[in-house]
Amino acid sequence: MTAAPELVDPRKTFGQAVTEFAADDSRVVVLSADSGVSSGFGAFRDRFPGRYLEFGIQEHGATGVASGLATTGLVPVFAAIAAFVTNRNYEAFRNDVAYMGQNVKIVGRNGGMTYSDLGPTHYSLEDYAIIRMLPGVVVLSPQDPGEIRAAARAMLTHEGPVYMRIGGPAIANLFAEGPFVIGKGRTHRSGDVATVVSTGPATANTIAAVDALRAEGVTLDLLCMPTVEPVDAELIIESATRTGHVITVEEHYDRGGLSAAVSECLGPLRVRHDAIGLPHQHVITGTYEGLLATYGLDAEGLTRQLRDIVAAGRPASAK
Amino acid sequence: MAPQDLRIEAEEARLLILRMLRGGRSGHVGGALSCVDILTTLYFDEMDIDPLEPTRPDRDRFILSAGHKALAQYAVLARRGYFPEPWVDTYSDLGSRLAGHPDMHKLPGVEANTGALGHGLSIACGIALGLRLQERRSRVFVVLGDGELPEGSNWEGAAMAAHHQLGNVVAFVDVNDLQISGRTADVMNMEPIADKFAAFGWKVRTIDGNDVEQIQGVLAEVDRDSSSPTAVVAQTTKAKGVSSLEDTAASHYWKPAAAEMAEAEAEIRARLQQLSLQTVAR
Repeated sequence: MTAAPELVDPRKTFGQAVTEFAADDSRVVVLSADSGVSSGFGAFRDRFPGRYLEFGIQEHGATGVASGLATTGLVPVFAAIAAFVTNRNYEAFRNDVAYMGQNVKIVGRNGGMTYSDLGPTHYSLEDYAIIRMLPGVVVLSPQDPGEIRAAARAMLTHEGPVYMRIGGPAIANLFAEGPFVIGKGRTHRSGDVATVVSTGPATANTIAAVDALRAEGVTLDLLCMPTVEPVDAELIIESATRTGHVITVEEHYDRGGLSAAVSECLGPLRVRHDAIGLPHQHVITGTYEGLLATYGLDAEGLTRQLRDIVAAGRPASAK
Repeated sequence: MAPQDLRIEAEEARLLILRMLRGGRSGHVGGALSCVDILTTLYFDEMDIDPLEPTRPDRDRFILSAGHKALAQYAVLARRGYFPEPWVDTYSDLGSRLAGHPDMHKLPGVEANTGALGHGLSIACGIALGLRLQERRSRVFVVLGDGELPEGSNWEGAAMAAHHQLGNVVAFVDVNDLQISGRTADVMNMEPIADKFAAFGWKVRTIDGNDVEQIQGVLAEVDRDSSSPTAVVAQTTKAKGVSSLEDTAASHYWKPAAAEMAEAEAEIRARLQQLSLQTVAR
């Protein structure tokens, strides 16, 4: 029996990474909408009080401020609940950040349905979809603490608007920490039956499901994608050409997000594509684990869904 | 700059605003004409700017929150030498640098891509904070329209400017009392505007926004080291300077017939001539 993996808070990991980066780059400023400490910026606020700007509970205005700050050469990081920094402020994100092409970093924490008991007002199950529609905006969805650290550095080094989604519940290390290249994924398991493409915290359970199927003799290519936009089309096409079947997995509606990004790059290949995610409805509330189990996104559910899709060619959630 | 020279510049800008509507074009002329005296005074008399170095880091900034009044900004930028005057003749053409709303990446002197209403004040606050963090003494001037005030985001900006003590922000509210559907008081009454800004913690002045001497006067009072932002409630006349259009909601977006254009231009030219004669007489 193996020891339980160490679990760490993704928000603290993220805040710490930005704080370390900011020690060497005085251009980095943090915007809070009564959300900075919850987003992992307690240490940043204590260390760089002049660069920690509080706006209270408002996201539209704070996004405009981020744009204005960026026009003066600063690198603003605005982190708050994912649902609020993508929906409430969408027009400011679209016009003041994307259209103005500003070097603004917007980070949605507690993404997906991690605020499970608080309900759909606090879920972000469409954020990849709506933000990836904004031209020139990078959408990052790191999958483990090491990737969060590396993605934070990559985000701050990248010139241009970035949206990054992180979760809330503690997560385990999945990968050896290495360099992070925006737009590049990694092949984490090799197989020839189908290609599985996953992103964000859903990758942990996807790895477990892929390994469970391997034990049953079903070998799947697993591509782990910390960038949703631009997605690593080269890696996906290479794998899909070999397997002829792609299955996407994400804690997001099963349309519009990673599934759409993958589908768009698969177009010319005419391979089968099945999407695993949340059904397009206002999902229920409860414990996070309960929700994952209900919607088949825990390790058992993903194993079942992947097994069924591979066997029958249609997603279990559609049955 | 002497008030008389500013008046002449404003009339020249009015002529350019109309010139952009020649050839069957149309545009938001009513608001452009109501705010053009404010823009002229800012660009010619008040702001620390250099058209030859439009991105100088310590320049003063201007944000046109009511981005549909772009005709006024284009006219004043052209007059001030930010770009060759003939560019105005491309207004609204396919791929033009001068579209119905300003684009910072296409036109020197434009600081933000406005047009959707209620965005300018927050962007201005961000610029003001960024300047202060970098210990620059530059100021940020904003023009809001009275018709955009119902957008709640304006009041997010109003709160943060006061909270963060952005004395380097000066916001003019161009109160021309009209919007597409009619009187602002009837569409959505936001009065008392001055009291609202004061309640948010702003210093507030009320002036005639078509009187350059009053605009100069209020700007002379602004203390950039103050801990309060300044709101100038500028009472103006929609379509000021074209008497057939003045104070009409129809002027909000205007497509002039050739005869209407000739009459409007003749009226402005006559006023320009009178202003020049007065100057010579002195």
